[in-house]
Amino acid sequence: MATGTERQGTDRAAFGGVSRLRGVVFRYVTFAASLFGILSLAVLLGYVFWDAFGLETAAPAWYATMVVTVVLPVAGFLLYARRNPLAGRTALELAATATGGVLSGFALVVVLEVIAGPGLWFAYFLAMGVPLGALYLYGRRVEASWTGLAVLGVLVAGPVVGTALLGPLSRIGGFLGGPGVYYLSVIAPTALVARHVVDEYLDGPNGNYVALATLVAPILAAPAIDTVAVLSRSVWLLFFPTLVVPFSIVAGRNLATPGRRVGVAGPLAFALGVGLLAVVPDLLGVAGPSPWFDWQYVTSAPSQTAEQAGLYPAIIGSIFMIVLVALLTLVLGVGAALYLEEYAPSSGPAGAVTQFIRINISNLAGVPSVVYGILGLAVFANTLQFGFGTVATAAFTLSLLILPIVIISAREAIRSVPDSLREASYGMGATRWQTIKNVIMPRAIPGILTGTILALGRAIGETAPLIMIGVATTKFSPPSGLFGKMTAMPMQVFTWSSYPSEAFQHGVVAAGVVTLLVVLLTMNSVAILLRNEFERGDY
Amino acid sequence: MTDDKTKTASRRSFLTTAGAVGAAGLAGCTEESGNSNGESGGSEGTDTSTELSGAINITGSSTVFPLATAVAEQFRADNPEVEISVQSTGSGGGFENFFCPGESDINNASRPIKDGEQENCTDNDVVPHEVVVATDALTVVINNENDWATEMTVEELEQVWGPDASADQTWADVNDQWPDEEIERFGAAETSGTFDYFTETIMGEEGAHTQDYEPTETDRTIVQGVQGSPYAIGYFGFAYFFQNPDQVTAVAIDDGDGAVKPSLETASSGEYTPLSRPLFTYPNEARLSEEHIAEFMRYFIEQSTNEKVVAEQVGYVPRSDEQAQQELDDLNAAIEEMG
Repeated sequence: MATGTERQGTDRAAFGGVSRLRGVVFRYVTFAASLFGILSLAVLLGYVFWDAFGLETAAPAWYATMVVTVVLPVAGFLLYARRNPLAGRTALELAATATGGVLSGFALVVVLEVIAGPGLWFAYFLAMGVPLGALYLYGRRVEASWTGLAVLGVLVAGPVVGTALLGPLSRIGGFLGGPGVYYLSVIAPTALVARHVVDEYLDGPNGNYVALATLVAPILAAPAIDTVAVLSRSVWLLFFPTLVVPFSIVAGRNLATPGRRVGVAGPLAFALGVGLLAVVPDLLGVAGPSPWFDWQYVTSAPSQTAEQAGLYPAIIGSIFMIVLVALLTLVLGVGAALYLEEYAPSSGPAGAVTQFIRINISNLAGVPSVVYGILGLAVFANTLQFGFGTVATAAFTLSLLILPIVIISAREAIRSVPDSLREASYGMGATRWQTIKNVIMPRAIPGILTGTILALGRAIGETAPLIMIGVATTKFSPPSGLFGKMTAMPMQVFTWSSYPSEAFQHGVVAAGVVTLLVVLLTMNSVAILLRNEFERGDY
Repeated sequence: MTDDKTKTASRRSFLTTAGAVGAAGLAGCTEESGNSNGESGGSEGTDTSTELSGAINITGSSTVFPLATAVAEQFRADNPEVEISVQSTGSGGGFENFFCPGESDINNASRPIKDGEQENCTDNDVVPHEVVVATDALTVVINNENDWATEMTVEELEQVWGPDASADQTWADVNDQWPDEEIERFGAAETSGTFDYFTETIMGEEGAHTQDYEPTETDRTIVQGVQGSPYAIGYFGFAYFFQNPDQVTAVAIDDGDGAVKPSLETASSGEYTPLSRPLFTYPNEARLSEEHIAEFMRYFIEQSTNEKVVAEQVGYVPRSDEQAQQELDDLNAAIEEMG
C-alpha cells in the first residue's frame, strides 16, 4: 500500500478504488466451508462416543478423578514440551510406537490366529515366506542377477505349491502347535530384522545381543504370560514383535540419550494416570462410565439382549474381506496403472484405444456401488460359483468397486514422478524395467498407498453391494474360510439400528460405529506408517 | 495347543475348523456354494454323536427376522458347531432370489407363500414346508396428542389409506367430528410383507394403497414421523410398539364388534381383528434330511410357545402348546418322508 495519503487519493481516482471487502468476505466463506464438514462430523462423533462409552452414568466425582489423574498431568507435560521440543518429540515417538504396536498386534492376531489359523499360515510361510527370505538374504550377500527372477518364480509358484501341499505342510504346523509356529515364523524373522535395525541405525548396543534377547525373552516370559487369562501364548508371541520389541528399542534409545530422558515422563504419566483412573474410583465407590464398547462387545456374537450383543463375527468378516481386497487391488490396480502410464502406446490407433480405456476407468469410479453388487452377483456368485454371501464373492466384488479409484490414484502418483528422472535413468543406460523398479516405484509408492488406503476405507464401509450378493445380515460365528458365509460390520450395525429398544439404538449401534472407526483408523495408521517409511527412504 | 485357557477354548476349536474348511476352500473346491453341498458334508459323519454341525442359511421376511435371530442365538448356545446365517431380504425377495433357487435352507415370510412362488419353487424341485411360528399384530399408531382418533373403524382406515385418498385429505373428510387438518401418513414400503398384509386386510385388495405417504422399511422412522406431528398416522408390526408403548398411541380397531386395543392377549385370542396375522417360516423339505436343519426346525417350533422369547424379546404373540404340537407332528412326518 502506498504510504502517502495524497498518493492513495490519486490512485483511487485513477483505478476506481479497490475494496478489500470482497476479499475478506471470500476468506471467511472459505473458512466456514472448511469448518462445516469437520464441525458437523465432530458433533456426531461426540454423540456417538458419549453413547458408546456410556459416559452418561459417570458421576461428577469420576470426571474430577479423570481431570486430576489424566488431564492435568498430560496438560502439564504438553506445556513443558512447548519449551522443550525434544521432550515433546520423544513422547510423541513413544506414544506412536505404543499405539501402532497395539493396533498392528491386534491386526496380526486377527489375520494369522483367527482368520488363517496357525496351520494354514505356516503352510504358506514354508512355501513362500522361507524361500523369499532366503533369496533376499542371499541376494544381499552375493550379487547375482538370477535372484530377482527367482523371487518372481516363488511369488507365482509359492501359492500353487502351498495349496497343493497344504495337507502335509499344515500338519507340520499342527505338530508344532500355534506357539511353535509363531515362534519360528514370526519371532525368528523379527530377531533378524531387529539385529539389522540396531546395527544399521543405532550406535551403542550390539545387534547380536538384541537378536538374542528377542529370541530368549518371549520364552522366559511365558510362565508370567500363562497367569494372564485373556493372553494366550500365541497372542503373546504375535504382540511381541509388533509392540514389545519396537517399543523396547525406541524406549531404550531414548533413555540412553540424556536430553531425551525427560520426554519419557509424558507417556509414563499418562499410563500411570489411566491406571489410577481404573482403580481409584472403584476404591472410592464412585460410579464410572458404563461402556457399551468393551472387550465383551468385540469378542462375542450378536444377541437379542443388548447387554450380551457383540460384533465379533462381523469384525472378523470385515477384516478378512478387506485383507483380500487390499491384496487384490494392490496387485491389479498398481499393475494396471503402471501399464497405462509406462507401457501403453500413447499415439496412433493404439493410443486412441489407451485413451478410451483411461477415460472409461475414470467413469467407472463414479458408477454406483449397487451396480457393482449386481455385477458381483452375476459374475462371482452365479457364473464362477463362489457362492452367495461368501468372503470370496464379497472380496472380489468390492475389489472391482474400488479398482478404478486405486488405478486413478496410482496413475496420478506415477505421473507425478518428474520426467527428468526417467530420462536421466534412460540416459544412464537403464532399461525400462530398471527405471520402473529403481526410479519410479520408490517415489510413487507413498502416493499409491495413500490412494489405496482411502479406497479401502470406502470398501470397508460399503453395504449396498453386500446386500446384493447375499451377505448375511446376522451371523453368529466368523466365516469358516474363503468360501464360508460372512457378515460385515456395516450390515450388522444397520440391522441393529432398526431394533426397537433404546439400548440398541443408543448403545449397541454407537459401539458398532466406534468399532468400525477403530478398524478404519488402524488401517489408516498402518498405511501412514508405511508411507512415512517410504518417504523417509533415501533413494 | 496346551496353552488354551478356558475362555479361549471355543474360539480355538473354531480355528481348527476354520483352518480345515479354509484349506478345503483354497484347495480349489469352488463348487461349494456355501450351503448344502460342501459344508453339510460334516454332519453326515456326526449323525451318531450328539454334536451337531453344519451350516443353516435363513433368508426372508424382515418381520420374522428378529424372531429367527433370537431362536438362532439360543440354538447356537447349545450347538456351537452349527453355523447359522440370517439374512433379512423381505418375504418375496427371499423366495425369489434365495429359497426357490436352492440357495437358502429356510425362508421366513410374514404371509403365506403365493401360488407364483410355489410354482417357482416346484420348477426348481424345492418343496417348501409351511410352519406357523408366531402371530403378529399390526398396530395403527397416532401421535400422543391426538385424542380424537383413538378408536377407528376399518372403513375409516380404508378411507385414510385407500388408493382413493387424495393428497390434501383432512381428518374432517374422514369423520366430520375430527379436526380440519391434513393427514400425514407414514407406512410400510411396497416391498415389505407388512404392506401386503395391511392392504389385503384393510382395503381387501393387495397393493391398493394411497401413494401419498412416507414409505419405509424401518419401524423407527414411522415412530419418529408420527411423533413429529399431532395429525400424523402410521402403521407397523406390533413388536416395536410393545417395546416402546409410550412414544405413540395405538388405535383401537373396530371391525364391527366394538373397538379392540392391540395387546398380546387380544391378538392371541383372535379378538383383535382384522390386523393380527400369522408369521411363517418355510424350510426346504429336501434339506430337512440333514440332521442339524431338522433339529433347528424342531427347536424353532418348540420356542414358538416361549413367551419370554417371542413376546418379551421380539414382541410377537406366542403360539399355544396344542398349535405347536400340531406343527411339530407335521414337521416330523415331513422329515420321516424325506427319510
